[in-house]
Amino acid sequence: MAVAVSVRNVKKTYHGSPSIDALKNISFDIHHNEFFTLLGPSGCGKTTLLRLIAGFEDLTAGKLHLFEQNISHLPPEKRPVNTVFQHYALFPHMTIIENVAFGLRRLGKTENEANTAAEKMLELVHLDDFATRMPKQLSGGQQQRVALARALAPQPKVLLLDEPLSALDLKLRQNMRLELKRLQRETGITFVFVTHDQEEALAMSDRIAVMSAGKVQQIAKPDEIYETPANRFVADFIGDANFYDASIVKSENDVTTYQIGNGVHLKGPLRPNMPDNAKVTLFVRPEKISIINFSTLELVSGEIKDIVYLGSSTDYQIELNSSLSIVVRNENQQNGLAIAKPGDKVSLRIDPTSIRILESENS
Amino acid sequence: MINKIKQYVGIMPAIFVIGFFMFIPILIIVTYSLLEANPYGGVNWNLTTEAYTKILYERDLFDEISFNSAYLVIIFRSIWIALITVILCLVAGFPVAYYIAIQPPSRRNFLILLITVPFWTNLLIRTYSWILVLRDTGLVNNSLQVFGITDTPVKLLYTEGAIALGLIYTYIPFMILPIYASLERLDVKLIEASRDLYATRWITLRKIILPLSMPGIVAGSILVFIPALGAFIAPELLGGGQKLMLGSLVQLQFSSARNWPFGSALAVIILIVVMLALMLYARNAHKNNSEGTIH
Repeated sequence: MAVAVSVRNVKKTYHGSPSIDALKNISFDIHHNEFFTLLGPSGCGKTTLLRLIAGFEDLTAGKLHLFEQNISHLPPEKRPVNTVFQHYALFPHMTIIENVAFGLRRLGKTENEANTAAEKMLELVHLDDFATRMPKQLSGGQQQRVALARALAPQPKVLLLDEPLSALDLKLRQNMRLELKRLQRETGITFVFVTHDQEEALAMSDRIAVMSAGKVQQIAKPDEIYETPANRFVADFIGDANFYDASIVKSENDVTTYQIGNGVHLKGPLRPNMPDNAKVTLFVRPEKISIINFSTLELVSGEIKDIVYLGSSTDYQIELNSSLSIVVRNENQQNGLAIAKPGDKVSLRIDPTSIRILESENS
Repeated sequence: MINKIKQYVGIMPAIFVIGFFMFIPILIIVTYSLLEANPYGGVNWNLTTEAYTKILYERDLFDEISFNSAYLVIIFRSIWIALITVILCLVAGFPVAYYIAIQPPSRRNFLILLITVPFWTNLLIRTYSWILVLRDTGLVNNSLQVFGITDTPVKLLYTEGAIALGLIYTYIPFMILPIYASLERLDVKLIEASRDLYATRWITLRKIILPLSMPGIVAGSILVFIPALGAFIAPELLGGGQKLMLGSLVQLQFSSARNWPFGSALAVIILIVVMLALMLYARNAHKNNSEGTIH
């Protein structure tokens, strides 16, 4: 697979008092025709990395290649990439069509050619009727689509998107996710998408790079990121999870029994090459656990403390012992009635294969 | 009703200030311009348009009038020098305003303070200092001769150039400050977006930064043009009274020429030119508002 963007040993330090290492030696590849997402909390360096690729900031060290061309020190206007800005950054003194044609005009197209191409782009984002309006006459969602059309019009080799949906309300955001996916498919352009919204990242991406504190924590497909996070940071940042510090009690066949608290045991997979009595961190997603109303010889049981109704599902906070609790998520399949009430004693079925063992955080 | 009264009470100070310091003086000037001159100063209370006639025509001993361009030349010279001042203030002031606007916020305020430093000294003294710099034995000419660039002094003082220089020096802060205000509000992302869309720095300046700072440029131009048109100190001291401008001409009428109506009529002419400039500005501002605001 062709490499669209190659990031090699990239460092970025903002000098000042104190100096800030925004990116600490990052290396990875973004493939051609890929919807690639940089995901992380604010201050993790994801936007810095995007701005480095766009050319708005200078590298402190390392190299950036775009389809094997070294772009490390090119000015932004020499890089065949375009950016969709968080707050759109439409030129307020130009009409919509002038905005969209701006890049094409700079690339030497005549006014006619540029306008024809710009009109096509506006059609693609369903805004062909708005060509002669001014940006401030459009709603936020429409402005966002103009920003998309403007960035796509010059047919960049890579499209950079800096939290483009964060200023929109929820319904619009969900529609725009589909729209972005469709545009990426139809144009075949590599998208590099920056977001702090894990749901957005999971929904749209081919691959996700989870970042924290200037480092890449994990790069993988959405389901791999969710199911087999590389470390506690990733597991905690993506989705909800129960975490337990555990020690090994015994191993037999393929199942290891872990003690996670006074008298509470969990059965999970064996981690290879692990010394006896090793301390590990276990985690299990709330929706992987089922509540069983009748008492059996199940390994784990407890008392329901709290119930949080979430619409499509319900969260049960269950106390395992005085210092240990677990969250279980149950789909509201029937008529939305809770399957238990606070104070009920319940047993839990936890499939050993749904329990994950984490390495300590990569920092 | 009570609210209405309260509203009027609230704007009374504004009405009083504008009425007392603007409308009444203008009324006096317009009235005087339509009266007969008293040869000993002041006016005789007879209505006449003689003062306005004098701008274009002269009356000879036999009471016949003929066209006289002397005052028109002064009026156009004043407008010309004021325009040159505006243009050069813009050319010199814009980069300064831009430089200040791209500094970190903490430094910006300090630099703005520096722009206002000249105001701390009396204008007359500052203009006199320019005489020391520009005269035949002044700083510039001495330096030119020491370095062997010229043998004889270059005539710098008492030229139109010296007047323009003095005016630029005096009024450039009025150009820098409004442009700075416009540029400071300019979203940096727009500049990045322009560069991202393959525009060089130069194209970005022309297509994005200049159009979006136009309100500041227009405001600055007017703030420089108005006082430059009626300026008195710089033309008098640096022009040596040889190249008369409107300000000096008006002053002359109220002092040695003792023709108050003519002085008033000239002041009315300045007022009309200024009003025309402001109307242009208003039209421009209206156009800008209907096109889009700057974020």
